[in-house]
Amino acid sequence: MLSIINRLLEWFKSLFWKEEMELTLVGLQHAGKTTFVNVIASGQFNEDMIPTVGFNMRKISKGNVTIKLWDIGGQPRFRSMWERYCRGVNAIVYMVDAADMDKVEASRNELHNLLEKPQLAGIPILVLGNKRDLPNALDENGLIEKMNLNAIQDREICCYSISCKEKDNIDITLQWLISHSKSGGGT
Amino acid sequence: MYASFRKDKKDEEEGGSGMGGTGAGGGSHAFAHLEKTSVLQEARLFNATPVNPRKCTHILAKILYLLQQGESVSPTEATETFFAITKLFQCPDPVLRRMVYLGIKGLSNLSDDVIIVTSSLTKDMTGKEDAYRAAAIRALCTITDATMLQAIERYMKQALVERSPAIASAALVSAWHMGQHRGPGSTGPDVVKRWVNEAQEAVSSDSIMVQYHALGLLYHIRRADRLAVTKLVSKLTRSSLKSPYAVCLLIRIACQLIEEDADEAAGSSTSIYFDFVESCIRHKSEMVIYEAAHAIVNMRRTTNRELVPAISVLQLFCSSPKATLRFAAVRTLNQVSMTHPAAVTACNLDLENLITDSNRSIATLAITTLLKTGAESSVDRLMKQIASFVSEISDEFKVVVVQAIKSLCLKFPRKHGILMNFLSGMLRDEGGLEYKTSIADTIITIIEENPEAKENGLAHLCEFIEDCEHTTLAVRILHLLGAEGPRTSNPNRYIRYIYNRVILENATVRAAAVSALARFGALCDDLLPNVLVLLSRCQMDNDDEVRDRATYFKVILEQQQQNLNSQFILNGLQVSLSSLEKALHNYTLSGCDAPFDIKSVPAAPIDVSEKKAKAGEMGMTSKKADAKPTATRHDMFVEKFAAIPQIAQCGPLFRSSQPVELTACSNLNLDPLRVIPESETEYVVQCIKHVFPNHVVLQFDCTNTLNDQLLEKVTVDMEIPDGFELVEILACNKLEYNVKDTIYAILASPEDELSEWIGTVSPTLKFVVKDCDPNTGEPDSDEGYPDEYVLEDLELSVSDYVQRAMKANFPAAWEELGPTNELEDTYVLSSMKTLDEAVKSIIQFLGMQPCERSDKVPEGKSSHTLVLAGVFRGGHDILVRAKLALSEGVTMQLTVRSENPDVSELITATVG
Repeated sequence: MLSIINRLLEWFKSLFWKEEMELTLVGLQHAGKTTFVNVIASGQFNEDMIPTVGFNMRKISKGNVTIKLWDIGGQPRFRSMWERYCRGVNAIVYMVDAADMDKVEASRNELHNLLEKPQLAGIPILVLGNKRDLPNALDENGLIEKMNLNAIQDREICCYSISCKEKDNIDITLQWLISHSKSGGGT
Repeated sequence: MYASFRKDKKDEEEGGSGMGGTGAGGGSHAFAHLEKTSVLQEARLFNATPVNPRKCTHILAKILYLLQQGESVSPTEATETFFAITKLFQCPDPVLRRMVYLGIKGLSNLSDDVIIVTSSLTKDMTGKEDAYRAAAIRALCTITDATMLQAIERYMKQALVERSPAIASAALVSAWHMGQHRGPGSTGPDVVKRWVNEAQEAVSSDSIMVQYHALGLLYHIRRADRLAVTKLVSKLTRSSLKSPYAVCLLIRIACQLIEEDADEAAGSSTSIYFDFVESCIRHKSEMVIYEAAHAIVNMRRTTNRELVPAISVLQLFCSSPKATLRFAAVRTLNQVSMTHPAAVTACNLDLENLITDSNRSIATLAITTLLKTGAESSVDRLMKQIASFVSEISDEFKVVVVQAIKSLCLKFPRKHGILMNFLSGMLRDEGGLEYKTSIADTIITIIEENPEAKENGLAHLCEFIEDCEHTTLAVRILHLLGAEGPRTSNPNRYIRYIYNRVILENATVRAAAVSALARFGALCDDLLPNVLVLLSRCQMDNDDEVRDRATYFKVILEQQQQNLNSQFILNGLQVSLSSLEKALHNYTLSGCDAPFDIKSVPAAPIDVSEKKAKAGEMGMTSKKADAKPTATRHDMFVEKFAAIPQIAQCGPLFRSSQPVELTACSNLNLDPLRVIPESETEYVVQCIKHVFPNHVVLQFDCTNTLNDQLLEKVTVDMEIPDGFELVEILACNKLEYNVKDTIYAILASPEDELSEWIGTVSPTLKFVVKDCDPNTGEPDSDEGYPDEYVLEDLELSVSDYVQRAMKANFPAAWEELGPTNELEDTYVLSSMKTLDEAVKSIIQFLGMQPCERSDKVPEGKSSHTLVLAGVFRGGHDILVRAKLALSEGVTMQLTVRSENPDVSELITATVG
């Protein structure tokens, strides 16, 4: 009985505190963007993914926050279009394959290119180093160094090392994201 | 097929003027005053959160409306709007989502980077929401380019055999569309070809629609492969298809096969297809019955016996209670009334009943059919009938009526009075340019064919231009008046009409009127003083062109010299205008030391096909004259040769012949329906003879039709006639499969002896063959072996050295040239059976332009005079008069006049 009342209370609370936030997820191809979306949406990890041609639009509910997520393809032909989907979002999530040393430099260049766009000034950015479960993957400090994140001073920036496969650090990532919805997650 | 009839002209205009808000029917609608910029401005709302589906749907509708109206949208605007639309994928509202698909399709050709929605559409296409799937397939297939097609192939294959008819049909039709566009590097058609198994499976679908679409796709994939089509048809004709639409399509394919068989004269298998088509006459669906009957009457060689069942079906339909069936039947009868008059006459009674049909379209078609097949006595009655409602029918049908009248006039010349009056009545009515043009065309044809109708017809045209809003038509009629008027019994009466134009019309018409006046002045001595007065008044005109023409003509006319008149007024300039422009430009660059020589400009090639459309043949559609290309074929060659230094040295190009086939039995490409030429020869060679002042250049266009061979060092070895000298051969290094390349042979003509210009060239193609991989075209080895291929002989004939020239006034030109270099001879053309045949072969042999319409032999006469004009290489005018008489073959007395005695001699020597 009490549980029903509690749930009813929760429901009322969610009616009043319901919030929406919009995120854009970019990064080079094969960094694990679509995988990440699946993991936070349903907790499912699927190793066998096909490259995203264009974008996927997903809505994910976490607590009383609805996250609208634009997951944009990372192949070179789509990179010029990233900016269009980053305009006016609450935060940009930039995914890096932390275990692929050969592509880190290209990834850094694309990131800095993107952030130079005047339309995107001041939008907070979260850099995620995926695949920390693999040997030789960069940790947070390594990423900050290799991606030259210290140079980004004009906005809020954060960097986590995660693993979609092991579901490592997904929770802190979500916390960070939710805290960047308009009212900081209603808490 | 019926589209052009469905829309009533008036309705259409109202719909169009809806923009102006004056539509009488529905008043101004919601989208009446849309402005592009503001609508695109509103589209920014798509980026807002949360999405308002109702508003966004409305804005999308506006965008689609503007695109439908043909509003031009720049790539930047389109791209902005497109990406804004992609944001709407976040909203699950089904109505909005389907509008998004339409928006994507509408902008797919205008916006950049449309492939961005590939993933989202793929998700919808394979998703659970059935309402989305078909529409998503259609949108996906419009945005997909060749590189992405492979990525979606798997989903397409699944969709093609989907159980839901809507989805399967969407996939089949989209695949058909993708198979259509074949751009450079487009792999679309190739990928679609791999879906043949799926298409096959879909043909056996239970759904009527899917079966039809599947057959369409299957045929589209197979159509280049004749054997496969044959198999397909014979298999399907045995299994009875469920879908009447599919049966209709199958009938069309079968007819195609029958026609192709007829072309190849191998009609053994044809009968199976014909039996199938005929059996369809007994099908239970009316649509199929009609399609089969329509097909049979339209086949090029159906015998009367085969025709009977088809005609009786159409006859039955004529009295059907359904208006569509009556319309279809009478329309088909109308179309074939000229090819099978006897068969159509059998339906006369039924057609008579349709004259009073409440549906005006049916009535019009019935009457015009009867007019075409009926007897002379019924003409008056039918004309009265049609006059009662001609003002109520749409322009398209009025054109049909006009055409029926045209053929009537040709058939019953004595009726021209009543018909011409009827036409002039129609001319005075309201109507669009196309309608008016067809009436004027008809009157002009009647004037040409029937001398008795000439004055009457000209009088009607004069009345018409008194109140004619179409500049092009007025100019044409003024030109005709100038050409025909002076030779009528009373030229005086036309002057007033023409001069009225000078006072009342716009500059273009005024200029044409001045030219027409000048022709009267040149040909009618008694009118000359009056014309001069009028021309001097025209010199006050405020338009430059009108003033210039008036001054020019006045000065010439004041000289009162026949030869000046004929040269500068009556016969005009005979050169190709674009070439003249280039020549003058070069002349001004060269410093203008010597006087400009007009003879260095090639004469204008006269469009032979112009007169092809014989008055006898009539369809529902009026043929529009093709817009003339700005650059002629001649100019194309000139431009091409300017880039080849060896040929550029030869001087200005005088004439280029039509391509001549040098490879045996290469009747390829005659059939535009067959996409891949199934050639029977290994190599296809065509030759074009280009004549220069002192050289002849032979252009050999070679195509290698063997996909496992690569030819290298391709050249032509040839025996040339005495006196010619081979200057150079520009060989071609490599000839790949199906890539056309060209070899040029430059020959120097014999200098003095004109008679040596005529001769035979025997060319042989020489080359090194390398075997290669049919797929990649890479040679198997570097070793090749030399080989040769003997080509057919090539004639250099008189006509290669002669350019057609039009002399509007042949007698004047004949007198002007004088008898100085006249040569005359008599020949017996024993192989000719009729005058008509003789006229045609003389024209073809000499390559000259018939003047004064002397190429038309009046029926039933036993003698005829043919007059021809041309320009010989070097710019010498030649005129030929051939008096022909029919007696055991044709006897011809040929008189040649030219500026150069050698030319006259050459022509008389080579004829015969």
